[in-house]
Amino acid sequence: MLSALLLIPLLGAIAIFLYPKPQSSRAIATIASLASFGWSLYLLKLFDLNPPELSAVQFSEFHTWIQPLGLNYSVGVDGLSLPLLVLNGLLTLISLYTNRKDLERSRLHDSLILLINGGIAGALMAQNLLLFIIFYELELIPFYLLIAIWGGEKRGYASTKFLLYTAVSGLMVIVGFLGLVFLGDSGSFEFSDLDINSLDLITQILLLTALLIGFGIKTPLVPLHTWMPDTYVEASPSTTVLLGGIFSKLGTYGLLRFGLQLFPVGWETIAPGLAIIGTVSVIYGALSAIAQRDIKRMVAYSSIGHMGYILVAGAAGTELSVLGAIAQMIAHGLILALLFFLVGIVEQTTGTRDLDVLNGLMNPIRGLPLTSALLILAGMASAGIPGLVGFAAEFIVFQGSFATFPIPTLLCILSSGLTAVYFVILINRTCFGKLDNSRAYYARVTLSEQWPALVLTVIILFLGIQPNFLLRWMEPTTNRIVAELHQPARIEIAQNLPL
Amino acid sequence: MDFTNLAAQLNAGAILPEGIVILTLLVVLITDLIGGRNASNWTPYIAIAGLLASVGALFLQWDITNPVAFFGGFNSDALSMVFRGTISLSAALTILMSITYVQETGTALGEFLMILLTATIGGMFLSGADELVMIFVSLETLSIASYLLTGYMKRDPRSNEAALKYLLIGASSSAVFLYGSSLLYGLSGGETQLGEIAKSFTQNPNSPAIGLVIALVFIIAGIAFKISAVPFHQWTPDVYEGSPTPVVAFLSVGSKAAGFALAIRLLVTAFPSVSEQWHFVFTALAIFSLVLGNVVALAQTSMKRLLAYSSIAQAGFVMIGFLAGTEAGYASMIFYLLVYLFMNLGGFTCVILFSLRTGTDQISEYAGLYQKDPLLTLGLSLCLLSLGGIPPLVGFFGKIYLFWAGWQAGLYTLVLLGLITSVVSIYYYIRVVKMMVVKEPHEMSESVENYPEIQWNIPGLRPLQVGLIVSLLVTSLGGIFSNPLFTLANDAVINTPLLQASTPAVESIAQLDITD
Repeated sequence: MLSALLLIPLLGAIAIFLYPKPQSSRAIATIASLASFGWSLYLLKLFDLNPPELSAVQFSEFHTWIQPLGLNYSVGVDGLSLPLLVLNGLLTLISLYTNRKDLERSRLHDSLILLINGGIAGALMAQNLLLFIIFYELELIPFYLLIAIWGGEKRGYASTKFLLYTAVSGLMVIVGFLGLVFLGDSGSFEFSDLDINSLDLITQILLLTALLIGFGIKTPLVPLHTWMPDTYVEASPSTTVLLGGIFSKLGTYGLLRFGLQLFPVGWETIAPGLAIIGTVSVIYGALSAIAQRDIKRMVAYSSIGHMGYILVAGAAGTELSVLGAIAQMIAHGLILALLFFLVGIVEQTTGTRDLDVLNGLMNPIRGLPLTSALLILAGMASAGIPGLVGFAAEFIVFQGSFATFPIPTLLCILSSGLTAVYFVILINRTCFGKLDNSRAYYARVTLSEQWPALVLTVIILFLGIQPNFLLRWMEPTTNRIVAELHQPARIEIAQNLPL
Repeated sequence: MDFTNLAAQLNAGAILPEGIVILTLLVVLITDLIGGRNASNWTPYIAIAGLLASVGALFLQWDITNPVAFFGGFNSDALSMVFRGTISLSAALTILMSITYVQETGTALGEFLMILLTATIGGMFLSGADELVMIFVSLETLSIASYLLTGYMKRDPRSNEAALKYLLIGASSSAVFLYGSSLLYGLSGGETQLGEIAKSFTQNPNSPAIGLVIALVFIIAGIAFKISAVPFHQWTPDVYEGSPTPVVAFLSVGSKAAGFALAIRLLVTAFPSVSEQWHFVFTALAIFSLVLGNVVALAQTSMKRLLAYSSIAQAGFVMIGFLAGTEAGYASMIFYLLVYLFMNLGGFTCVILFSLRTGTDQISEYAGLYQKDPLLTLGLSLCLLSLGGIPPLVGFFGKIYLFWAGWQAGLYTLVLLGLITSVVSIYYYIRVVKMMVVKEPHEMSESVENYPEIQWNIPGLRPLQVGLIVSLLVTSLGGIFSNPLFTLANDAVINTPLLQASTPAVESIAQLDITD
């Protein structure tokens, strides 16, 4: 069942190369990503919301692959990975429809995007550590090429920086996993066979640090984030949608899956430190975003801040906060994709991303009224305005973490106010004001070019009003993860809170 | 000694694969003498058929019951078979790529093949040699043939210089090796057989005597020269740049595999009492090779020099498996050499193709190649990325197995260094990929702009294409379907008594699975 999510994009990528006409690549890619997105929705429907206690991973598949390495083809999903899989499918589809005007070498472009889709799906459903590494590293080259070929002016620099940082991230994860399996005496890379509790606390913390650096680079967390603004800014909009929307979620996914779930005791010990790192990320992201003059860079820094919430929530480790962490991953993926999509349209139509040059895009006749309206909505969603999915996720995060880490949580809440500040700056400078008469002869943006944004907006609105549709898939898993943390006192607190 | 006993002691069937290669060599030589220039239409294929037949013979002999041949001079155990197969295959692939290359330079193909086959025979005998004289004779057969191959393009001053450099360093390192061997002979009280030498040392327990340590160091100097471990690597970049490219391909895989075969057999069998010392020396060699190979490769502008430093670095990775000294360690080393064969030869095939069509091998001249030659771009990219260890290519599986084996054996520092340097290596491998794939049409280099139209039906180009596609298939799919290769590597270790005797009882995953 699950392997289809891996095979469909792969077959699509091969089909693109076999089918000679360059124009057909988008059609093939669309069919493949629609199929895999549809399949993931179907899996969402089949997903058992009240699983029997022990078998928490569903749709499992298991084949022995390479025995001497302990590498098995072992996949399965739970409430942490399935929503991300669906997000992956959706964003791939949207990425294919982002800024396509006379795209050069579209065959290579589309097949790389399909490969990334397959790779991320594989990483999310892998239940074997080595298998996870394979898929985790698989995205490296396709993303590198996407940035290096279709990127902006400084793409050479940005892509190399991305490559090296991500390679180091993979390295740290490999070190962590090798250490974990060998020192833990489990003799197998199978996720279910791992038993970390036999390790002493110091070793656990060492391994956890390796994983934290590895996944922290990808997330990215301050101070490992320096690759991120360059990469996001230089990458083309279609690449950024995938990079920020889903690729960065592999970092937080890894933190929750392999940090929180595998090392309950070690995680508990370093949780205060993690909360501080998360809070610093949040504040740093917000303050840096305020200082930017480039709207894409602003959005990029906003992403650092929003990923920080996830770390704070994960560190708090209550049922509610972990639930909020996963919800925030999805919410952030949707909102960031929407923001990058719209910024891409603005840049393509107006030819600039400079805050000092842009003005008055709200103008109904000569500006970009629909784009600006959606941009305002997206900014509000990102800043945590009620009724949109960002608020729902952030609120759960704050409520869940407050009991454990009151001060970091308060700081996070404060800086979510700062988020509003820079989005107001952004919207004020771009959408409001007067159009510059000398340069405002923008090409018309047709509705058909904007439908991905409309779809995303509808989803953001819907999940904001009815967050239960987001949370119901995750709840059993988060409960199970937190139950393993052995914190009876905290679970009590969480249960008393209204969901 | 009656005849049957003699025949049993000789056990000449054990060297059937080498016999086939020798026969092929003679056939090639005679066909060349009789047929003159026209014979070169046939001789390469005869040679390839002979090499493949020798691999087939190895395959049939896999379960040989009595591996020891020639009064203990040659050991045809599973370990030697794997290495002999690797060397033979690397020679076969080398021939595929050398047909056009040698003919274009106007030199005789038959002679080239003959020297290459001689080197192959030397390497194959070296893999199974179990006796000091036999080791030295086969080592010299390999080396002398390599000098000749290096200087084969005798009108090219660079080739001459490379041959001279290789000869001077190679001959002196052989002399040092020989001095170590003669010390071993003297110290052991007149034994030349490796097993007997080890026995004589274990009988007097006051080891390690200083004499033994000196012998060890001298012998390592010879081995490290063959596997081009830093600081015995200085010949590699110059020889790789100057020699004919197919020869470089053979030296980087065949000759290197022979060196590793020698290292395992000699050090594990003859020096068990000073194993701490040679582990120490090899750790240093591995660290130097990993660091220097990978860091200096960053600054190269010539493709062949880049591959030279990369091969130094790759030797460092293989040494991690050797140092682990466990079953998984040796198996990972064998596996890596097997897949290295295809990655590296695939890479060299592309380099040859490119220089045949444009006449240069500067990295900057590759710019914009994807437009003119997609197959070459795909081939070289996949091979280089596989050398860098990117999943799901075969090099990733090879490296992760090496690291896993090293980690199991407790070589944390080495594995960490290996991981860090493999990030460095990704940088310089991807630099070439970037040149080929990322550059825009207007950034195309001059040679690519004047790129000739691709024609595969020129004589000699088909074999090149076959070689490229075979190595490409193994490189890209060999990782995903690598179970047979893993089984082969593990079986080779399990079926080899000498490794079984030396490996400590470490519980590997493979063993756990069998007992479960």
